[in-house]
Amino acid sequence: MSGILIFAETDDGTILPNFWEQVSAARQVADPLGGGLRVAVQGSQIKDASDALKSGAEQVYVTNDARLGEPWSEAHLETFTALCRELQPELIILPRTLLGMEIAARLAQRLDAGLAQDVMTMQLAEGKLTVTRPVFGGAASATLRLTRPPWIIVPRTGAFAPAEPLSTPKGELVARQANLVDDALKTRRISRTRQTSKINLERARVIISGGRGLGGPEPFQLLHEIAERMGAVVGASRPPCDSGWVDSGMQVGLTGKTVSPEVYIAVGISGATQHMTGCSSSRVIVAINQDPDAPIFRMATYGVVGDWKQVLPGFCEALA
Amino acid sequence: MKIIVTLKQVVDPLTPVSALKVDGARRKILGPPDTPPVINGYDEQALEAALRIKEEWRDGECQVIALSAGTGFDLDVMKRAFAAGADELVLIEDTALDTWDVSFIVRTLAAAIKQLGGADLVLCGRQASDWDNAQAPLMLAELLGLPCLTLARRVEVKGQHVQVERVLSDGIQVMEANLPAVVTVTSELGELRYPPMRARLQAAKRRPRTMTLKELGVTATPPAAVEMLDLSLLQIERDCQFVKGASEAEAGRMLAELLIGGGFIKPQQA
Ligand SMILES: Cc1cc2nc3c(=O)[nH]c(=O)nc-3n(C[C@H](O)[C@H](O)[C@H](O)COP(=O)(O)OP(=O)(O)OC[C@H]3O[C@@H](n4cnc5c(N)ncnc54)[C@H](O)[C@@H]3O)c2cc1C
Repeated sequence: MSGILIFAETDDGTILPNFWEQVSAARQVADPLGGGLRVAVQGSQIKDASDALKSGAEQVYVTNDARLGEPWSEAHLETFTALCRELQPELIILPRTLLGMEIAARLAQRLDAGLAQDVMTMQLAEGKLTVTRPVFGGAASATLRLTRPPWIIVPRTGAFAPAEPLSTPKGELVARQANLVDDALKTRRISRTRQTSKINLERARVIISGGRGLGGPEPFQLLHEIAERMGAVVGASRPPCDSGWVDSGMQVGLTGKTVSPEVYIAVGISGATQHMTGCSSSRVIVAINQDPDAPIFRMATYGVVGDWKQVLPGFCEALA
Repeated sequence: MKIIVTLKQVVDPLTPVSALKVDGARRKILGPPDTPPVINGYDEQALEAALRIKEEWRDGECQVIALSAGTGFDLDVMKRAFAAGADELVLIEDTALDTWDVSFIVRTLAAAIKQLGGADLVLCGRQASDWDNAQAPLMLAELLGLPCLTLARRVEVKGQHVQVERVLSDGIQVMEANLPAVVTVTSELGELRYPPMRARLQAAKRRPRTMTLKELGVTATPPAAVEMLDLSLLQIERDCQFVKGASEAEAGRMLAELLIGGGFIKPQQA
C-alpha cells in the first residue's frame, strides 16, 4: 500500500472544481506519507484530463465511458474499485458530492478502510491519520483517528483552499477501460431531468435564501428579483425544497450545499444548526426574521426583526 | 413482499446547541434530561415509503418490519412504528451498540436481516442526524451483496424491480434496481403519516420482538478502523447588529444601504 489516489469527478466531461481542494488536502500529507500522487478521472467525453496533471500527479488514469457520464454510483464504484485494487493506495480522497460520499462509504466496506466524511482538518503522525469533522448537524466537532490504512477521506467543501496548479507538469495520462458488463450491473438508469439554469451556489459571492417563513413558492419570485438587482444567487432552507416550492438544488445546509459567500442573507429562516452548518463560514450573515428570539440572530452579523413582506420591498427599493 | 426498514433512535436534532451536553468519557452527545429521543427523521420517512408500498398490496401480502439496533430504547418512541402501520418491530439492544463504529452496527443489522429470513426491500433513511455519516445503508448493501439506490423521493415496486426517483443536486434521476435491494430515502419523500388515536392506543399494547448480539453471533472486533478521540460542542456566535427604522420597510432600506456602504453588495446596472 502506498501513495495517494484522488477521485476526480466530472460533469459534462469537465473536472469539478472540488478537485483542487482535494489536491490541497493531499499536499498536506503527501510528504510524510510518500508514495506519490495519482488521480482517477472518470466520465464521458472528458475534455480536461490533462489539467489534472497540473496537480503534480505522476499518473492520471482516464476512464472515458458513456455510462460514467452520469452520477450512476454502481458504474462509478465498480470502475474505481478495480483501480484501487490495482494501485493499492494508502489514502484515497473523494469529493464531497452525492456521488463522492456514496462511493466513499461503499469503497470503505470493500477495502475494509477507515473513512472520514466532511473533513475540516487533517494531520498525519506516527502512521495514524487524525481528522476533525462536524457532527450532529454542525452542533459539535469530532476528532477522529483512522487507525490503519487504507484511509478514505472526503474533505468538506471550502475547508481546504484550492491548490495552485503546477506550470510544468511531469506526469503521464493513462487511458483505461471501464470494463463494465451491462448484464452484470444490478442498477439501471431510466431517465434524468436536469435543471435548465445552472445556478452555482457554491461559488456565489452573494446569496439570498428563503425559508419556511416565506410561506409558499410565490415570494421566491421577489427573492429572484432582489438577487438580480445585486448580482446574487437564490438559495433556500430545507422546508421550501421538501414542499416543492423550489428546486432541491437550491438547498443550503448539511444535506444541501455548503456555501461561503461574502454575504449570506437569510429570509424567514430560523437558523437550525443543520442549515447554519452550510453557511456559517460566510463573511457576513444577514437575517430577516419576525421573531426576535430566532436562533439565527445569534449567528448573524446584521439583523432586521420584522415581517419580510414589509422589509424586503424597502430593501429592494434601495437597490434601484 | 417483505420490507425491512431500519430505524435509529437519536437525540432530537432540533435541540438547541445550548441545551446539549457532551459526555466526554463516552464521547456521546446528550439531550436535556427528561426530553425523549426521536426516531431519526429520514428513517421515519423510509418507514413512510414502506407504508406507501404496502398500500399497493392486498391485506397480508406485504409485510413491513421495523428494525433497530441500539441501546436505551424509549419504547414509547420506538412503538410509533407500530402506530404508523409497521407489522413488526425488532429491537436489538446492547450497550456495545452505543458506538461510533459503523461497521459493527452494520454487521449487526445484516445478521438480523438474515435471521429474519432476508427481505425483498431494505429501506433506510439517507443519514442519521447524530453522526451525519450517511454510511450505514451503503455499507449494509455491500455486506448483504445487494444493489443500492440512494436519495429517493419516490419508491415504487414494479414486479421484480424497484424504481426510484433520486433527488440529485441539479435535478432528478430515475433509476431501477433488481430486487432484493437497499434504497435510501430523502426528506422530499414527505413526513411519516400521523396515526389516528385508535392506532396509537393499540400500538401501546404491542410488544417489540427482541434479538441479542449473542443470538446473532456478532461481536465488536477492536480496534475499529475509526476511533473518536474527542467530541466538543461548537458554539458559533456573532454579535448581531440590529438595524432598526421608523418602519420595517425603512429598516429594510437601511439594511441595504448599510450593505452597499460596506461594499458587501453592489446594485447592478440595469
Ligand atoms: C439530518 C438533518 C439534515 C438536515 N439538513 C438540512 C439542510 O441541509 N438544510 C436546511 O435548511 N435544513 C436542514 N434540516 C432541517 C433543519 O433542522 C430545520 O428544520 C430547517 O432548516 C428549518 O427551516 P426554516 O428555518 O426555513 O424553517 P423554520 O424553522 O420553520 O423557520 C421559519 C422562520 O421563519 C420566520 N418567519 C415566519 N414568517 C415570517 C415572516 N412573515 N417574516 C419574517 N420571518 C418569518 C419564523 O420566525 C421562523 O424563524 C436538516 C435536519 C436534519 C435532522
